[in-house]
Amino acid sequence: MSGLYGTMWIALSGLEAQQAGLETSTNNVANINTPGYSREVPILQEAAPVIEGNVAFGQGVQVEGIQSLRSNLLDLQISDETQQQGSSQAYVNAMNQVQTLFPDDTTGIGAQISAFFQSLNSLSTNPSDLTLRQNVLSAASNMASAFNDTANQLTQTQQQLDLNAQQQVQEINQITQQIAGLNLQLCELSSTGQDYASFEDQRGELIQQLSGLIDLSQVSTGNAVTLTTKQGTALVVGGQAYALSTAPNTSGLQDIYSAQGEDITAEISGGSLGGILQARDQTVPALQTQLDSLAGGLATALNTAHKQGTDLNGHAGGDLFEPIIGTGAAASMALAFTDPSLLAAGSDGTSGSNGNIANLSAVANQAVSNGMTPSDAYSNLVFQVGSSVSDGTTELNASTAMLQQLQQQQSSVSGVSLDEEASNLLLYQRAYQASAEAISAVNQMLQTVIDMGAQS
Amino acid sequence: MRISPDLSQLVLTALNVSDQAEQTALQQMTTGRRVNQASDDPADAALDVNIAFQMDSCDRYLRSISSLESELQTADSSLNSAVTALQSAINLGVEGSNGTVSQQNRATIGQQVSGIAQQILGIANSSYNGNYLFAGTADAQPPYVQNSDGTITYHGNDNVNSVQIENGQSVAINQPGSALFSAQGASVFQALNNLVTALQDPNSTTQDIGNATTELRSAYDQLTNARTFYGSTVDQLVSTQNFLNNENVQLSAQQNNAVGVDMNVAVTKLTNAEEARQATVQAAASIDNLSLMDYLSSVTTT
Repeated sequence: MSGLYGTMWIALSGLEAQQAGLETSTNNVANINTPGYSREVPILQEAAPVIEGNVAFGQGVQVEGIQSLRSNLLDLQISDETQQQGSSQAYVNAMNQVQTLFPDDTTGIGAQISAFFQSLNSLSTNPSDLTLRQNVLSAASNMASAFNDTANQLTQTQQQLDLNAQQQVQEINQITQQIAGLNLQLCELSSTGQDYASFEDQRGELIQQLSGLIDLSQVSTGNAVTLTTKQGTALVVGGQAYALSTAPNTSGLQDIYSAQGEDITAEISGGSLGGILQARDQTVPALQTQLDSLAGGLATALNTAHKQGTDLNGHAGGDLFEPIIGTGAAASMALAFTDPSLLAAGSDGTSGSNGNIANLSAVANQAVSNGMTPSDAYSNLVFQVGSSVSDGTTELNASTAMLQQLQQQQSSVSGVSLDEEASNLLLYQRAYQASAEAISAVNQMLQTVIDMGAQS
Repeated sequence: MRISPDLSQLVLTALNVSDQAEQTALQQMTTGRRVNQASDDPADAALDVNIAFQMDSCDRYLRSISSLESELQTADSSLNSAVTALQSAINLGVEGSNGTVSQQNRATIGQQVSGIAQQILGIANSSYNGNYLFAGTADAQPPYVQNSDGTITYHGNDNVNSVQIENGQSVAINQPGSALFSAQGASVFQALNNLVTALQDPNSTTQDIGNATTELRSAYDQLTNARTFYGSTVDQLVSTQNFLNNENVQLSAQQNNAVGVDMNVAVTKLTNAEEARQATVQAAASIDNLSLMDYLSSVTTT
């Protein structure tokens, strides 16, 4: 036995342990809404006993440390799913903007193509009428404008995505810088044996943020985390962050380069950067190509038909649209003349002939773009844009649901429960009171002993 | 097993889902369309584009047909007047070929026939919306011009305009004057001129006048034959018009099937979404009351 003072020390260790518990619980409650926070529990251990003869007397309690409760496996799964979700979300956002450019109703390119052929049919009933001729030219001009507007807005969307990609790269670089800093701090702390759970929490949160931006692979070595893209481009190794950079390519869009100067644009598959690049480099260019093919095919076919006819003055028809030179047919589509008398509606040189309108109208049923008629080509565009949004949304919903499930699982391990903390607080409080009661008892006993001395 | 203490995310997601369902149902009900963006149903949205094209075609054919109908009816009624006038000319010819008619009366009859020739010249030069109806495609100028010697020359051409009135089907919309009034070997004007000459020439025999009348009759036959074109074309326009109107109704139904909304379904969806939202809110409210902290503090205060 260690005497009354020994008992006092045991009670004191109880006070300290319960206070540590109280502190941990309070800290948990304080951080209940902190993103990335993992709940902590005190690790209590019996102090080494004192052995007297055959009897081992317990010597109270020791606080071994504070443990942060987290599941690394869940963290990894959440990181993977966050990359998926970030990519789908960014892609769907981008394509939702694009979708508005290809309406299936009475506005947009489809309706203008239809209106143009309608104006031709009206003209065929009275081919020398200048108002009807003007109507055809206006409809042709509106159709060209619709192509111009759609192509320009598509390009603007692409440029906006390009700007977004650059911003994302900057954000990625900031985060990898912070993670590298935390890696360094964690290595130093662990060598001094200090508590580092809060730094791990911060780093974990930053890694989740980074997962939303770019695809990631992570490997833990000691207390440091090594981060690379899925294709192996280093982002953070130990205390060193490897910043990505951007430089314009031949189409004026920014390519992404690794710190080693390698072009990794095509490799990036996850996170919002992955989704943005998919829309910017694949879906939007594919749509541009088809739009150009439709505009170019339509203009060329109408020019060919127009040249077969004669105008109001009996002269042979020229081009109806400016001939397409190079790429960008949709953006550059323009009417070749504005004088309605130059419209080659006739076939025999007289003003009353409508013989060439049949040739012009026939273009509506000709294969002008990839073997499709103008209306089929446009409806195909609508289908593709719609599918890209709806497929993307399906993926997004799936990964959002998956992510939520994983987060619930993670929360069941790491989340702070107020009920639990309330009951813990009660436990610690009661134990603290009991230890204090013990000290008070020892104190009285000591008083008794002192009084004994005073009486003698 | 430890249960995730954070139920707010679940509540938020559930609210989000029911909000979205509510919004979709409302949008469907207000627009009357199930497909409001292509992504709602890409295949049906693409179908909608094609149906809209076909409906536009129907509309434009119908518009052309109604403008053609009035033009063709004008031409037909002009020709009807010409036919009536020619009948009187033939009757006059028959009257003039009667041996009992005096030379003076013959000359008077000749003048009447000459008047009819002028009337028919006017008809042959009739126009619609500023275009000469019987000039072929050279319809900017009057097709028939009377020369100083009284003969009439055709300045139009033999060409015919066609207009598309439904997919893959066009109709000719005019007969040139060269098929109506000045056909090879059966020219109305030539025959009228010959009859006038025969009636006014004192040396003509009743035989001569009779021959001229016969010539006029064959020109008359040519005109009435060629004229049937207008009647039959109008008939064809009317039947195509009926076909297109019917087609429009069917296309509308197809479009409604593809992108339209079933109101009953939309209303049910809206009700379901609203109920789901209400249930979620109620559940969330009762979760909030279940904190041990709340319970403990209420115990200590009492």
